[in-house]
Amino acid sequence: MTPTLPFQHIDKIEILRALPRVFRDTRPESEIWLTDLALSRPDYYMVEAESGTGKSSLCAYLYGSRTDYLGSILFNGTDASSLSLMQWQEIRRRHIAYLPQELDLFPELSALENIRIKNDLTGYADEAQIHSWLERIGLGDRKDFPVGKMSIGQQQRVAIIRSICQPFDFILLDEPVSHLDFRNNRIAAEIIEAEAQRNDASIIATSVGNKLSISSSKLLKL
Amino acid sequence: MNLVSRLLRKNLSTAQTLGFILSNFIGLAIVVTGLQFYEDVSAIWQKEDSFLKTDYLVVNKKVTSGNTLGQSKSTFTDGEISDISGQPWVRSVGRFTAADYRVSAALDNGGRSLSTFMFFESIPDNYLDINPMQWQYREGSGEVPIIISKDYLTLYNFGFAASAGLPQLTEQMLSSIPMRLHIAANDGTRQADFRGRVVGFSNRLNTILVPEAFMTWSNREFGSGVTPPSSRLVIDVSSPGDVAIDKYLEAHDLESAGDKSASQASFLLNVVTGIIMAVGAVITVLSLFILMLSISLLMQKNRAKLHSLLQLGYDPGRVGAPYRNIVIISSAVAFLLAVVAMSLFRFYYIGAIEGLGGASGNLWLAPGVGMLLTAVIITFNLLAVRRKVVSAWRL
Repeated sequence: MTPTLPFQHIDKIEILRALPRVFRDTRPESEIWLTDLALSRPDYYMVEAESGTGKSSLCAYLYGSRTDYLGSILFNGTDASSLSLMQWQEIRRRHIAYLPQELDLFPELSALENIRIKNDLTGYADEAQIHSWLERIGLGDRKDFPVGKMSIGQQQRVAIIRSICQPFDFILLDEPVSHLDFRNNRIAAEIIEAEAQRNDASIIATSVGNKLSISSSKLLKL
Repeated sequence: MNLVSRLLRKNLSTAQTLGFILSNFIGLAIVVTGLQFYEDVSAIWQKEDSFLKTDYLVVNKKVTSGNTLGQSKSTFTDGEISDISGQPWVRSVGRFTAADYRVSAALDNGGRSLSTFMFFESIPDNYLDINPMQWQYREGSGEVPIIISKDYLTLYNFGFAASAGLPQLTEQMLSSIPMRLHIAANDGTRQADFRGRVVGFSNRLNTILVPEAFMTWSNREFGSGVTPPSSRLVIDVSSPGDVAIDKYLEAHDLESAGDKSASQASFLLNVVTGIIMAVGAVITVLSLFILMLSISLLMQKNRAKLHSLLQLGYDPGRVGAPYRNIVIISSAVAFLLAVVAMSLFRFYYIGAIEGLGGASGNLWLAPGVGMLLTAVIITFNLLAVRRKVVSAWRL
């Protein structure tokens, strides 16, 4: 595959004077909006927010699926708004992993197929690795079960495993443990943290209440 | 089937796809068959007279007793010619130029010599459908190409030769025997000999034709210096079947030479083929929209999945692949079926056409046009697929 991006890795994400357009007329109290903020690899960040403060918007801006913001977002100094569609796809495969709040799973596919559809694209994890993750997170007997028939908590765990089936410099987790009990939260955190360490990558997790149990992280209030 | 195809083909309507294939097939089959039929049939007329296009008309004034007595002229004045040029069914008018000198021709055939007085005429070269290599004359050259009316040969063979005990001549013999031409000025002051070479026989030109270049040169050389007025005109007609033409000729005491039924039939064939092709083309275009609509509908139904796949990092090309395959395969199937239908139909009519003296026309044109239409359908739909995929980038 020909590298189309001007960098090998994303080492720094800068969020400069950014603000969702819908907040244009308000001046929110925030450690992210309308400030100059740099997120550096391999630090961990916990973005704490009340609902309606633009948490999912921030994730969508960093993942390129929305551009309705003021200010700018830079990857290693490259303006995100200048990236082409193909470059974004390259970023999504190799540099930024993302667990959306709405999970974005395919309900008609099984847990394993939902994971494979990502892993087939990146070729990141082998079959044994995927099975071992599913065992650890308590879905060993649910692998071939259609995701649409699973509980939200189970779906969330499938989506977590899927999100780490790729190389990444940053992993964006939008309320990753909102439906997990304490035990599963800890297991998910261990798996994610292990992958982040393996990739020498940053974790950016958001929460409105239940926080991902990762070790020391910088707290940012949105 | 891979996971992506399995996801994206969901909601695919077999009925809609078959509906597209059927309508595309019908449209293409009409276009391809109509065009092939036209190609095959028009070969009949092209074979009949290859020197003069079917929509050319040769006209002259009717000979009346007035002409004979020298009271009225059978030649056209400039005013009459410009009146004809002004008619709506006329594209252009060319004048026949007559030779202003005496010509006699002699043929040597197996020791016996035939000799006759004759005449020359010429028309502008662009009215003749003939290879210019055969039909050129360089000033001073001793060889002159000639086109003779087929009727003259028939008159000679069956009227004259039979009764005078002379040998009959075939077209081939006449073309291969050199003709000795003797040209002399009317006042007897200048004369010269040439070799005549018959390059063709025409059904629709009742004359002996030489290249315009030769006529210009020889009239200057042997003529009296006065350009003789034309007594015949060749008219390029825009709609040969038009009744206005007959009315005009009647009203102006003109008559047209040769058989007009060929030109009228070919005009009718053009009109009918045009209508059939237009119907086929409309159906084909409609089928294009059927496919575009059903693919768009399918992609709209699967829009959330397209979005999710793009979110996972799949390239738009990969995500569009299942839809591209549907477009390409169903269009190709419709095209192949249309060509098969055309071949079957042709199999039944070609015998009849060959019986009428036609030959098989160009076999590549009709399928080529069908392929072009198919390419247009595929291109439009692939562009639509691409646009739809990219639009799913944002939910």
